[in-house]
Amino acid sequence: MAESFHNSRFRRWFASSPPVTWGIRQLRQLLIGALKQGPIPQHVAFVMDGNRRFAKNHKIETVEGHNLGFEALARILEVCYKSGVKVVTIYAFSIENFKRSKYEVDALMDMAKLKLQQLSEHGALLDRYGAAVRILGQRDMVKPDVLEAIDKAVTMTAGNKKAILNVCFPYTSRDEMTTAVRNTVVSYCKPTGNQRPTLKRPFSETHITRHIRAQSQGSIPEYAEMSDSRAGSPSSSKGSNAMDGENSSMGSTLMNQSDSDDGQPSSFNYPDPESITADTLTSNMFTADNPPLDLLVRTSGVERLSDFMLWQCHEHTSIVFLDCLWPEFDLWNFLPVLVEWQWQRKKLNEQDKGRRHLKAD
Amino acid sequence: MATTGIRPVEATAFHRNMMNGKHLTPREREELLKPFLPDELSDSSLDSPNKPSTRRQQSSSDSKSKPSLFKHWLFVLTYTVIHAIFSVYFRFRRAYHLVVNKVISLIYYHHRTPEFIQRDVRKLQRLPAHVSVLLDFHESDEDQGSAGLEGLVNDVCEIVAWCACAGIPFLSVYEKRGILKNCIPQTHDSISSTLESYFGSTRKPTLALRAPHIPSYSPPITPPRPSTPSSPHSDTKPAPNHINVLLLSSNDGRDTMVDLTKTLAEMAQKDSLNPQDISTDLIDIELTEAVSGEPDLLILFSPTVELKGYPPWQLRLTEIFHVPDNKGVNYQVFIRALHNYSKCEMRLGR
Repeated sequence: MAESFHNSRFRRWFASSPPVTWGIRQLRQLLIGALKQGPIPQHVAFVMDGNRRFAKNHKIETVEGHNLGFEALARILEVCYKSGVKVVTIYAFSIENFKRSKYEVDALMDMAKLKLQQLSEHGALLDRYGAAVRILGQRDMVKPDVLEAIDKAVTMTAGNKKAILNVCFPYTSRDEMTTAVRNTVVSYCKPTGNQRPTLKRPFSETHITRHIRAQSQGSIPEYAEMSDSRAGSPSSSKGSNAMDGENSSMGSTLMNQSDSDDGQPSSFNYPDPESITADTLTSNMFTADNPPLDLLVRTSGVERLSDFMLWQCHEHTSIVFLDCLWPEFDLWNFLPVLVEWQWQRKKLNEQDKGRRHLKAD
Repeated sequence: MATTGIRPVEATAFHRNMMNGKHLTPREREELLKPFLPDELSDSSLDSPNKPSTRRQQSSSDSKSKPSLFKHWLFVLTYTVIHAIFSVYFRFRRAYHLVVNKVISLIYYHHRTPEFIQRDVRKLQRLPAHVSVLLDFHESDEDQGSAGLEGLVNDVCEIVAWCACAGIPFLSVYEKRGILKNCIPQTHDSISSTLESYFGSTRKPTLALRAPHIPSYSPPITPPRPSTPSSPHSDTKPAPNHINVLLLSSNDGRDTMVDLTKTLAEMAQKDSLNPQDISTDLIDIELTEAVSGEPDLLILFSPTVELKGYPPWQLRLTEIFHVPDNKGVNYQVFIRALHNYSKCEMRLGR
């Protein structure tokens, strides 16, 4: 009887026997725990490419390929979070993907909805991982029912602090950059002083007026410096920029009231555009408060970024292109990538140390 | 299923949300997921003490008393072993790639003859219209003699010549610090003379070298050392091809976008622009004019893919090519990049 068993069938039986599955589970935990001993990338991004090709190769439906891709994602997330990655960003759906067949788009949307709904049913489990879900992208392109599921999942996990899962869902990087530029511009032309009732703030108006008087006499543009340093700090958000602007504008209107013959140009009401830096734009990106992107992995052998994380990955990010298709992607493909990343990191550290020694000599 | 440690029953359960023909309730799903969850308190206890591991019992009998410490040592040991194995593997891989690259560069060598390069690219179905290369400025001469400004200019000259031979009309050269931008006239001279050594003085293609934000020196479409004696011939033979070279640095990346934002903010403050009018197309047009359009192919000569501040906006659909473990500029990388490019197809999200 045993001889008649097909070889692969026997292998499958062997692999699915309880002791073997258990052993493999333990091995995975061991490897993940081992990886944790070295440096771990804080922010990893994945382009989940190859679901459809996988479906085509295995002669299954495209939607089924996407389903398998989702399982691969779950496995990888397990690896990432257990090994200590803080932020995982995945490219789930591009704005360009709306060009695909309506059937496929709808199926993808349904899948997203279903998975997010399931996610919301397991609040306790998510807390265990401590992962907060965030959706990056153009919300207004999503159908309302999907949006509802998104919002539910996002609000439910918003309190989790240990890790973040960024799902890029109708996303393109150019759109993100455009949004960041637009938001920066909006925040730099917001305040004109008279539109808003003054809220309680830790600044006293008389104080500011006095300072501005002193400034206009001493002609030291101190406020520009102030807004400069604020905007320059990476933690500066839209809020602080807006506040800067308001303070300066408030001051200027007050000053104009007090000595109206000064004749200040109206642009004085706004924060100085010169104080915009790359960090200002970074803080207006969707990934504003995430650590810098350390590792970007793209599967299926395509060596392109395809409008993903362009702003984030342009400098020190290690970009890795793998030949395997996304549904096949697992710890066994990811392990060499991580180890190589650790290896490179160690070499860089050694070089830095060497350089510092040279400088010290 | 063998590699994931998931039993087939569980796999179908995850897959179809069904177990034994019944739909799963959230409660049942949580049960199913239990073994895959991290421990309640990380590293405080063994996952499943009810299933004793034979291997663990063999290796350490006191693992039950001090499980976390034992586990820690086990992890450190595994980490060391993995890194030792991979370290050997990486070295072997590098050696292997070195040999392969050497062999390929022996097979494909241009001999500074345009005809050889043209023969290499003739088979290709399509050529990129805009190639970009990312070069490094090496301060010391630890690698292949391409150190300092001289080495960099040398590399640029060679690459321009290869592109001219292959018939690529537009090349952008990215070097992080933008050293070449400071010496455009000299670079232009060197490239011209390299082109001359490839093509000869009569067939030499014309060259335009420019950099964004430096409008003061943008040489005309004729070479500065004009080959006026040969100009009467130029209308009799087919027009000599022309190559545009653009020098980029990290200033043309994020900083240019910041400059654009500043300008837009200023315009919005003067009410000459509605912030809602800022669209992807507007930014694209502005950046295309100010810097360059999207390259079709980006060739890296570094051993790994790291963009080192390359302009982010332009990289949208650019094919990024690198040869693993390659170091330094050489012809085989260039020709392999072109071969690779001609094979790939663009899907634009579809």
